[in-house]
Order: sequence, then structure tokens, then C-alpha cells
Amino acid sequence: MDRRTFVKGGCIGSATLLMQGLDPAMRADVTPPAAPPIELHGLPDYKASPLGMPGLFPGRVIELRDPNAIVRNRVSQPIVRHMLEHAMKELTGEKSAPGAWAKFVEPHDIVGIKINPSGAPACCSSPEILREIIGSVQSVGVPARNILVYDRYSYEMDIGSYQALLPPGVRIFGIQEAFAGGAGYEPNVYCDANFFGEWETRSYMASIVAHEVTKIINVPTMKDHSASGVTGALKNLAYGTFNNVARTHRAPYSFTTPLIGLMCTVEPLRSKAVLHIMDGMRQVWHGGPLTQVQDFIDQPGILLVATDPVALDTIELEAIETKRRERGAPSLWQHDPNSITTNSDDFYRDAAKNLFFRQPGHVAAAGKLGLGVADLKQIDHRTLSA
Amino acid sequence: MTTETAKSKDPGDWPTLLKDNARTGGQGQHPARSPERAVWQFRAGSSVRSAPILEGGILYVASVKGVLHAIDVVTGTSKWKFQAAGQVHSTPSLSENRILFGCDDGKVYALDRHAGSKLWEAPTGAEVWASPVVCNGVVFFGSADARVYAFDAASGRERWVHELGGRIYSTIYAAEHQLYVGCGDGKVYSLDASSGTILWSTPTGNGIDSSPAVAGDLVLIGSEDFLFYAMNTSTGEVRWNYETGLGVASSPAVSGDLTVIGSKDGFLYALETHTGRLRWKTAVGEVVTAPPVIGDGVVCIQAGGTFALDSATGNVAWRAALAGAVQSVPVLAGDTIYLASLSGEVYAVR
Repeated sequence: MDRRTFVKGGCIGSATLLMQGLDPAMRADVTPPAAPPIELHGLPDYKASPLGMPGLFPGRVIELRDPNAIVRNRVSQPIVRHMLEHAMKELTGEKSAPGAWAKFVEPHDIVGIKINPSGAPACCSSPEILREIIGSVQSVGVPARNILVYDRYSYEMDIGSYQALLPPGVRIFGIQEAFAGGAGYEPNVYCDANFFGEWETRSYMASIVAHEVTKIINVPTMKDHSASGVTGALKNLAYGTFNNVARTHRAPYSFTTPLIGLMCTVEPLRSKAVLHIMDGMRQVWHGGPLTQVQDFIDQPGILLVATDPVALDTIELEAIETKRRERGAPSLWQHDPNSITTNSDDFYRDAAKNLFFRQPGHVAAAGKLGLGVADLKQIDHRTLSA
Repeated sequence: MTTETAKSKDPGDWPTLLKDNARTGGQGQHPARSPERAVWQFRAGSSVRSAPILEGGILYVASVKGVLHAIDVVTGTSKWKFQAAGQVHSTPSLSENRILFGCDDGKVYALDRHAGSKLWEAPTGAEVWASPVVCNGVVFFGSADARVYAFDAASGRERWVHELGGRIYSTIYAAEHQLYVGCGDGKVYSLDASSGTILWSTPTGNGIDSSPAVAGDLVLIGSEDFLFYAMNTSTGEVRWNYETGLGVASSPAVSGDLTVIGSKDGFLYALETHTGRLRWKTAVGEVVTAPPVIGDGVVCIQAGGTFALDSATGNVAWRAALAGAVQSVPVLAGDTIYLASLSGEVYAVR
């Protein structure tokens, strides 16, 4: 994306994408408001990397599943080690795990590991998987001090106890302390849009993403999301890198389509995010992203690896949609006004209720922006047994 | 046991994490009824993720942005403040005329508690979130650099350093000759207080964020493996464990044969100290990571709001929608409770 890109809602906005047939249920039920113009400001003169999204292997998703990887809600370190090695070799075609990692990371890199702690402790990026990723990055020659595990809110990371659970030397970093505050963000890299008449119309990119890390390994979890439909690789990157993003939802509407995809196109985020490792040890099929209700959280023991976040999230979306169907919950695509509630207790109790008209179309919208492959028929989805 | 930080003249003093080195956490205090009003409110300027401490009519509160505030408990006004060079997540400790706390710049600071001026600083290799503990004139603490440090409390001179297998966020329990601490490598360690030599280590199933308490011959501590452990103080042998629904980052409060511990599953558990048998469990929030404190007949916990539970039954005695800092601890002092919040507010409520 150029330094300054102006995207008209009429070109890429949610309404246009939906009317092209991506969301037939929504078309039948409600007409969403059109997305406003969105202005994108990337880092000036940043040279795009060929490793950037969709990365080295567009359309390829490796899935490993082992029911023993999580037993009674505890993740097995040895099993996820084996799963990650297997997945990385399959993704890259390399014979060794260090060889696979060397395709993405070099010894001089400053590696950011973008976690998802927002559902902690019930469903968040597993420390066991993070330890394996850290060990793998170190195997390429990156010293621990040049590995930075980060997310937006440090208090959420505290709840996950990441500080205590990850290896010494690795930096663990929350971009901001609490809900407010602009410190930690780059004032010249931002997305500007006025969705609902809010007074602050900009969302700024985290400074560590803009300036400090040279590569990002994205570790999303596998969850439904009350506004965006699912939260996967794209949303974990976009809404975990830019601030002031909750303003894109105002019940019952959400502009996560198209903003999630657009944010992921902003440089240097697009270039630096070279690998996506989805933690599907736990799978939230309703109540995401924050639910602590165990009835809505399965433990399938899945690990998904890709360089293409759109293909990865398309697979995730299918999995969550399938699970909801099995459990008798409405489709993520359903936009029945009767399902909307303003009572969050209802939402956390009843899988038929939701706070917003979900926007799972954000994944396909990101595909339209060139971030990856959204067509299931074109995705090279390899399901392996661990 | 010599516990300098517990030798306060006023029984209402609360000079270190969970009141004193024995981690008795509020026993003898009387918050049996719901607080009715805020006596004062103080703005710390940024989140507070550690616990306040109290001595001699001064409440000490560290904010995440690295400011240690000394607040007059009568007026709620600032006596002095000290700006450290990094963020602060460590609960301060008082020892004689010194106040000590760890900092994300990798140092432990010792300040004059009356003036707020720096007396000395002790460097480590990474952030210090644990609370410094003083025993027999020596300051003990662990650092995220995986080392346990012992410094002379008066001079700040290093006595010894010993490396363990993982990050240390657990606050050391200092007995007369032995130290006990949990570690990110999943082990509970006992070290010789004079040399730092490891006396024993006992593995758990995941890393440890919890700080231990000691009751008789038992070390009590939680682990991220969902279990709460009682280990023999001399050998590290596991006497009993109790399984909760998620990780146990909270630290236990002990009162006689009652041990209370919070779990990330949102429950507070009351166990018989010597057997591990459950007396009651009560849901108090979605997540519990703060340590509980035990007052006279009630157990208080910050978990979203502040709860007081009947210590005999676990029934909620009262609830105050104040102080959402799930890492902080209420300070019980007579008929007043001091609370710190994630949004940076400090309250005196009565």
C-alpha cells in the first residue's frame, strides 16, 4: 500500500462486497450502512517485502489435529512441539524444522510474536505453543533479547501470566496499559475514518510494529467474534496493531468489514507479518472474543499454519460455522434483527443471541485487497494427522 | 522468625505484601460490614497493578508509570512522590526507615520512607515484579532474569545471587534460615537464606506466578497447572494438592487451619490447611489473580470489584463496585479499607 491511500467506501466498502454475493443472508435481512471513506497512511518510503502477506505460500494452509494435544484443558508441550515441526516442514517443503523457520526469520531479525490474550484465561494463545515458537526462532540464531512477545493491553497479558511462563530473556510487552492512551503508537501511520460520528477518527499503528520489529509471527486463536464473525489471523493483526478500534462497532452495526483487511494492507504491517500460526487447541464457537463460558469452548487440539492469513481465516470460518451448525446455533452470516440483544448476559448465555450483525465477510474482503485466497476451492488445505 | 517488616507498632500497619512476612493478610481487622462511603480518592496518574502498603499513617502506592506515591491516610493528599526509571508492578515493602520496590528497569530501589529520596539501587538483568522481602537485615527478591538476589538492606551491597530455571515473578517467602519461591520453570524452590544454595526443588506441571505462604511445616503455593500445592518445608515433598478449574496465579492467605486461594476459573477456594479438604468455594468474578486477605470473619478479594465473603461459609457478605485491579490487594486497617484500581484511582472507604 502506498504511503497515503484513500479508499472510497463505494469501491471496497462492506455494502458493495456484500451485494456481490458474499453474504446472501444479510442481503435478505438488513441493509447495512455503507462504509465511510477510509484514509490509510503507511510508513513513508517503506519498501514492501516479498515475505509480506500473502507471503511465500499463498492459498496453502496446513492443519494438524491431535486430540491428545489438549487433555482436560491442559496443552501438552511435547505434542505441540511435534505438531509445529511437522506443520512447518509441510508448509515449506523443507526436511528440517530449522530449515523451515529459516525461510522466514534470519539471525539479525527482531522478531515480534503477536499473541491473542483477549480471552484469557479461558481461550488465549497457549504459552506452550509460544514456547515452541520462541525455541524455533532461537534455533535460527535469533537471540532471546531480540524476540518480543506483544499485544495491545498489558493487563490482559498479565491475566494469561505470560510474563512468568515464557523463557527468560524474551521481552514481553503490552503496547498500552489500559483502554485509553496514545503512548506507544506512531502518529504518522494511521487509518482515518468517521464511522459513527466519533470525535477521534484515527487509529494509529503501534510503534513497535512500525519501527522496532523486523518480522512478525502472528499467533491468533480460533474464536467466533460478536462483531467480525470470527477473530483469526487478520483481526488479531489489525485490531491488535492499531488503537481505537472498538469505535468500529455500534450496535447492531460493525465496520470490521472492510477495516480489518484495510489495516492489514498498511505498511509495514503487511510486509512484516510473514507467518501465521493459529492456536486451535481451544475453539470458541460462541461468545467470542472474551467469553469465559466453558460450554462454548471446545478443545479439538488443532494447529493451523500458513503465510496467507485470508486462506487461514477462511478455513477457521468454515470450522466455526460447522461447529455452530452442529450445536444448533445460527449461522455467523445470519443477520436476523430478532437475534440482536443489548444485554451482554443474554449473549453470554444464549448462542442464538448476538450483540451485532456479524461481519464474517471481512475475510473475503481482505482477499479482494490481495492479502490472500478466500475461495475454498482454491485453497490448498492439507489436513495431517499428528 | 525474625520479620522486621512485621514489627510494626500499630496493629493496623500493613508494611508489605499481605500485611507482614508471615502473609497473615489482615487478620484482626474488621471489615465485616459493607463500606458506606469513600473518605477520600487519590489519582495516581496511571494504572495500579501492585498492592498498597501502609505504615505510620502513610499509604504507599506504586503506579505502573513508575511513580511511588506516599499518601497521608487522613487527608488523602500526597506527602511525596518518587519517579523511577521504568514501570512498576512490584508491591513495595517497608523496613525500618526504608521503602523498597522493584522496577521494570531491572533495579530494586530503596528510598527514605519519610522523604522519598533514594538511598540505594540494586541492579538485576531484567524487570523485577516481585516484592522485595526483608529478613534479618537482608533484602531478598527474584527477577525476570531467572535469578534470586540477596542484598544488604542498609547498604544495598550484594550478598549473593543464584540462578534458577525460569523467570521469577513470585514473591519470596523468607523464613529464618530458608527461602521459598515459585519459578517460571514450574518448580518450587527452597534456598538457604545465607548462601542461596538450593536446598530442594519440587516440580509442578506448569510455570508459577503465585507467591508462597508457609503454615507450620507446609509451603502453600499455586501453579499454572491448575493445582494448588502443599509441600513439606524441609523436603519439598508434596503433602496434598487441590485441583481448580484453571491456573492459580493468586497467592494464598492463611489463617490457622483455613487457607484461601483464588483461581483463574473465577472461584475463591477455602481449604483446610493441613489436609487440603475443601470447606467452600464461591464464584467472585470471571478471573481471580489477586491474593485474598483474611480479616476478622471475612475474606476480601479484588476481582472486578471488591468482595467480602464470610470466612466460615463463603457467602458474600458485601460487595463494592470499586477497584477493578485484579492484581491488587485491599488493605484492611481498622474500619477503613484502602483500594487501588486498574484505572489509577486509590480509595479510602469506610
